[in-house]
Amino acid sequence: MMRLHAVLALFPDLEEAELSAWIEQRWVEPEHELGDGPVFREIDVARVHMIYDLRHRLDVHEETLPLVLSLVDQVYELRRNLKAMTRALDEQPSEIRGAILRALAGSERS
Amino acid sequence: MNDPYEILGVARTATDDEIRAAYRKLAKTHHPDLNPGKREAEEKFKAVSGAYALLSDADKRARFDRGEIDASGAEKPPERQFYRDFGEDRARAKYRPGTSGAFDADDLSSLFEEMFRQQGAGGGGREFARRGADSRYQLAVDFLDAANGAVRRLTLPDGSTLDVAIPAGLRDGQTLRLKGKGSPGTGKAPPGDALIEVSVRPHKLFRRDGNDVVIELPVTLKEAVLGAKVEAPTLSGTVTLTVPPRSSSGTRLRLKGRGIAGGHQFVELKVVLPKAEEPELEAFLKDWTPRHEFVPRKDREPT
Repeated sequence: MMRLHAVLALFPDLEEAELSAWIEQRWVEPEHELGDGPVFREIDVARVHMIYDLRHRLDVHEETLPLVLSLVDQVYELRRNLKAMTRALDEQPSEIRGAILRALAGSERS
Repeated sequence: MNDPYEILGVARTATDDEIRAAYRKLAKTHHPDLNPGKREAEEKFKAVSGAYALLSDADKRARFDRGEIDASGAEKPPERQFYRDFGEDRARAKYRPGTSGAFDADDLSSLFEEMFRQQGAGGGGREFARRGADSRYQLAVDFLDAANGAVRRLTLPDGSTLDVAIPAGLRDGQTLRLKGKGSPGTGKAPPGDALIEVSVRPHKLFRRDGNDVVIELPVTLKEAVLGAKVEAPTLSGTVTLTVPPRSSSGTRLRLKGRGIAGGHQFVELKVVLPKAEEPELEAFLKDWTPRHEFVPRKDREPT
């Protein structure tokens, strides 16, 4: 758990106004405590790092960033779903797993 | 291969712009958060970042070129956690595409519901509906607001506000649920709830013990010996309290029903001696012989 100023201190050239704008646009969503300002969990700090890299180091344009974030979020969501699906398949009897693998191989060819 | 020029794939004569362009290209390709499935991306990204840190610093680059430092002389980038370490976590719920409103909720459960819908109703579609996600917030309230009840306004990140009714007697760490104040549902399903975890700030006078409230009240030596009527703060304003004669420090007086939800308030007396010199008092005590033998430390003797 980190406060806004502790997060800002991680970066040599990140202004409070810029980070606040990221929060306003919900690119990063720290939890809000009344009167005490936002509180960042580990995942939020990692996300600030990612957005910082994209903006300050990889030079992704501000207007392009929502597009990138949306694609990134979709990729993680798909990976999560795929893993859940794989786990579910893993628990099936071997004949079902075999049938699914054959069906997948068939759809690859078509 | 530790040569930063080789890592970035540039000539030793490369200009700063060429170095920056090469770094950006490689960092975009290898950023771990953009490559959740490639474990090796992190190592590559760190190598590329390290090489760039060295070559983008004119002074360090010159010293490296003169052979004064080797590539390991470059500062190691500080340890950090990458977003991809959380990207597939449950904790990530707030960053899921569905909750931002930009996409249809397309998670696994809806995927399955859709599969069953197609199988079941023979194609005749009932509308897909899914309850909205719960939103979580934290709220810190003052001791008196938690004890007496209050309405506090929570400003949400998007600028909208939520009025939160704090019920009287709320405890530290309790969670309030505001029905229907979370994210909107899909189709005809209801919205989620807002869950507000409330922490109670400590008060400089009052302390809570169950439903009772405890305060410490300083009294003078005279008030403690002779008894007195003194004013004491309570949750609902100041009351007059009778200090009985011969009250010691630590005496607990009860104010019935002045606590929280039928609890009481307890006032712990603390006898405070005068700070300035009191020669008359000292002279009196020197000559004074108590009428009754009294050894207050009697029960403290080790047996």
